Amino acid sequence: MLGGLGALGAAGVLAGCGSGSAGKPGAAPATGDGGAKGYDGPAVELDFWNGFTGGDGPFMRKIVDQFNSEHQNIKVKMTVMQWADYYTKLPTAVSSGRGPAVAIMHVDSLATNAARNVIEPLDDVAKALELKQEDFADVVWKAGEYNGKRYGIPLDVHPLGFFYNKTLMSQAGLDPAKPPATADEYMAALEALKGKGIQGHWATPFQFTGVLSVEALLWQFGGELFNTESTKATWAEEPGVKALSWFTDLVKKGYSPKNVAQDADAIALQNGKNAFNWNGIWNINTLKEKKGLEWGVAPLPNIGGKKAAWAGSHQFCLPKLKTPDQNKSTAARVFVNYVSQKSLEWAKGGQVPARKQVRESADFKALTDQAALATQIDDLRFPPPVPGIGDALAELNKAINEAVLLKTEPAKALSDAAARADKILEANRKKYGA
Amino acid sequence: MRGYGRATPYLFLAPYLALFLLFVVGPAVFGLWMSLHDWDFQLPGKPFVGLQNYKDLFDPLSATAEPFWHGMRATGIFTVASVPFLVAVPLGLAVLLNRKFPGRTFFRAVYFAPYVLGVAVIGLMFRYILDTTFGILNAFLGVFGISEIGWTTEQPWAFVALVAVTVWWTAGFNAIIYLAGLQDIPAEQYEAAELDGASTWQQFRHVTLPGLRPVTVFIVVITLLASANMFGQALLITQGGPGDTTTTALMVITDTGFSQFRMGQAAAMSYLLAICLAIVALVVFRLMKERKS
Amino acid sequence: MKRRPSAFFWVLVVLLTLLVIVPLLWMVVTSIKTVGESQADPPTLIPQDPSGRAFGEVLTTGGQNPVLRWALNSFAAATLHAALVVVVASMAGYALARMEFRFKNFIFSFILLTLFIPGFVFLMPNYLLMDNLGWLDTLWALVVPGAAGAFGVFFMRQFFLAIPKELEEVALIDGANAWTIFTRIILPNAKPALATLTVLSFLANWNDFVWPLFVLFSPERLTLPAGLSLLQGAYTTDYPVIMAGATVAAVPVLILYVFVQRYVIEGVARSGIKG
Repeated sequence: MLGGLGALGAAGVLAGCGSGSAGKPGAAPATGDGGAKGYDGPAVELDFWNGFTGGDGPFMRKIVDQFNSEHQNIKVKMTVMQWADYYTKLPTAVSSGRGPAVAIMHVDSLATNAARNVIEPLDDVAKALELKQEDFADVVWKAGEYNGKRYGIPLDVHPLGFFYNKTLMSQAGLDPAKPPATADEYMAALEALKGKGIQGHWATPFQFTGVLSVEALLWQFGGELFNTESTKATWAEEPGVKALSWFTDLVKKGYSPKNVAQDADAIALQNGKNAFNWNGIWNINTLKEKKGLEWGVAPLPNIGGKKAAWAGSHQFCLPKLKTPDQNKSTAARVFVNYVSQKSLEWAKGGQVPARKQVRESADFKALTDQAALATQIDDLRFPPPVPGIGDALAELNKAINEAVLLKTEPAKALSDAAARADKILEANRKKYGA
Repeated sequence: MRGYGRATPYLFLAPYLALFLLFVVGPAVFGLWMSLHDWDFQLPGKPFVGLQNYKDLFDPLSATAEPFWHGMRATGIFTVASVPFLVAVPLGLAVLLNRKFPGRTFFRAVYFAPYVLGVAVIGLMFRYILDTTFGILNAFLGVFGISEIGWTTEQPWAFVALVAVTVWWTAGFNAIIYLAGLQDIPAEQYEAAELDGASTWQQFRHVTLPGLRPVTVFIVVITLLASANMFGQALLITQGGPGDTTTTALMVITDTGFSQFRMGQAAAMSYLLAICLAIVALVVFRLMKERKS
Repeated sequence: MKRRPSAFFWVLVVLLTLLVIVPLLWMVVTSIKTVGESQADPPTLIPQDPSGRAFGEVLTTGGQNPVLRWALNSFAAATLHAALVVVVASMAGYALARMEFRFKNFIFSFILLTLFIPGFVFLMPNYLLMDNLGWLDTLWALVVPGAAGAFGVFFMRQFFLAIPKELEEVALIDGANAWTIFTRIILPNAKPALATLTVLSFLANWNDFVWPLFVLFSPERLTLPAGLSLLQGAYTTDYPVIMAGATVAAVPVLILYVFVQRYVIEGVARSGIKG
């Protein structure tokens, strides 16, 4: 689902990307364990599962191929499936002893899977990589921890960004070099577009991208998804209602068609039907592939008064092995170590590197589109690291879906969903023994 | 005359009974036990909750009630909408195929072919054909000036699409069963009717339909069961949407059990669904029996 | 007995045929288009820039989408399943039809009762059972549990009841034991029923979607339905690849079907009357 659109350009991306220029940092001799020492045991095959189904997939595959060619005794086999399928299959695969040796998870899934014994702590890898909190933005770093242990090595951050079609903006008499940045500017721009018969901001009822947009708006209006103890959903409070009302108004006021299909917002931007689209950074490569498309990307406009944007983060994790295999464990750590240091290569696939020093490097700044979105880094928000938080958030997704489809009023949709989410949170606390 | 020892019958039965006990009786009982727990097979703690999982399904504020009843509604709508078509369309097909004409075997095979493709191929294929923007169906309808229909994103079109696809997929199967039933109706009955001056329609009403009654009951029952089990079409074509309108009961059960790992709740849901289904089946049986007498 | 088919009749027959064939053709046509062309509005009927990229994607890419392998898995699972069903169901059906023993009626009624329990009731508990047996992600999970269904036993019993008793009695006089009678006399006389049960079991297993979707997870162990579902997820809007996957899945089945369609259709036809 995530970055699903990227598949549009997947085939061409490989060719367009520069050949591997990086050296062999992973192979450099080092001391300590956690994968920094390298692996010199017998040949092992590592399964590596992830959900990079979009334009990001080929970039990871390339890093994997490069790793394989540099490590004669480790063969990494990458398997890609849709995130939804992936999160269903991974835990059962792990418990039946057929799980992968290395996997990628979104930050908001780490706690759940840590609590369910799907993944194991990897403080040793963090130590070996000499990862420190100050290397990362606070949110990204803390999100990888659960119960005082580290379960995820941050690979990237993928924030929501504001994509715009320059041609349409010019048609409506807007300056394509100066995308709207405030609520007033944004509404004025939508009105100008509407004057030219263009529905300027297609609002989808789906998680990608409707839910992400509404969450960003909620934070901008000063709200929170959950209370600090994560025992209650707070999205039905005033900021949440404001956020969802603003978003559904896009449909009500005719800035968006009704019943926009999944991904149709992004496709419409490419086809010159939709001017503005708040979409994930992974969209960059898809748009680059579109010949003749005049587009730009900027941080999200500040609608609510407080800068904030939704973001996800991919993190490496090590699934539990049913039968301990020292060779596999070591090799897996070598692999994680290796890829973690390739985060610039990975950024080319449309991500913001998790590491500060890479993010601030000249090489990354040369990726102007990614760098533009990286400026949001201190305003990015994640869901809290609580087991089963996704179950509660699923209720929010439903509420937003109903509201954007104009079936339920925002305030009612949100409060109904919050009531259900509270029950889920309560049940989860019991289940995970928190 | 008895040509076998005392143990022989049991030996013949043994392989099946072993499977039966292990995979039918055992699980049916074990499922009940599960449904009384908050069962996550990967967590050490599986707290006993008594009938809470069942009570929750009737408590509108619980986390499971709404998805479950929405799922029941989706399954119910689909079943009510699809069964009449899946019973009637194949009957038409069977009557068509029952005539003698050149190429009959070929056409019969063609009409049955979609069934062997399986739900996955069919789901993938129609997901694309039914796409709102670049699907060929909307392009074809556009030729007649019909504007874009959201087959997978708008109601009631999503249900129309799911029913139509299911008819496309399984009509051939039911038609073949009807066809066999038709061939069991003695030709003399038609000849007698014809002698009485009955029209083709009257022959159909008074000879064909009564003659097909047992087969029809069979078809209604298996179709009802299949529709109540609907899963693949909705998963692949509408992904349960728009909203959760086509998220069927079975999708809710699997999501609860396998994605949220609330297997106790999922087991409770499946028992409740089974009971509802049993009631429907009894009502249908009763209705058909009455019509008979 | 009836009039010759009218023009209207033929129009109807051909239209219905087109209704079956056109979606399949569209699937094949799309599979050789480029991604951009597959999303053209309006669609192009003939690929402007045909390419085999999509087939390359589903047939090669290092084991990620081994569609042919999935087809093989499906075929193996369905075949083994059908074989197991036929063996255990005919043995049990024979005992229940032709032998006298204690609790016979109770056992039969009990088996029959489960015929009316919908399969999803067993989904969660059987899943856990698979986990405990270590059968998750293996062929066994696809082959064995389904063979415990009551239909086969019921179906075979009904058929055996109809076989004349004299056949067995002659053999008994020759001193044959029960097993010999069963294998040498009863089974050869039950060929149509066995063929029907084989076909029905094969088809049911081949078309099963829910169970394999959850008990399998390794890419190279999936069956076609489970694999294609993942394929659709992994390629979201890359329709040529999805259609290529569906095509590769459909072609072997259709070819096989051309050769065995008579048996398939006869098998299905018989399920209604006897069942």
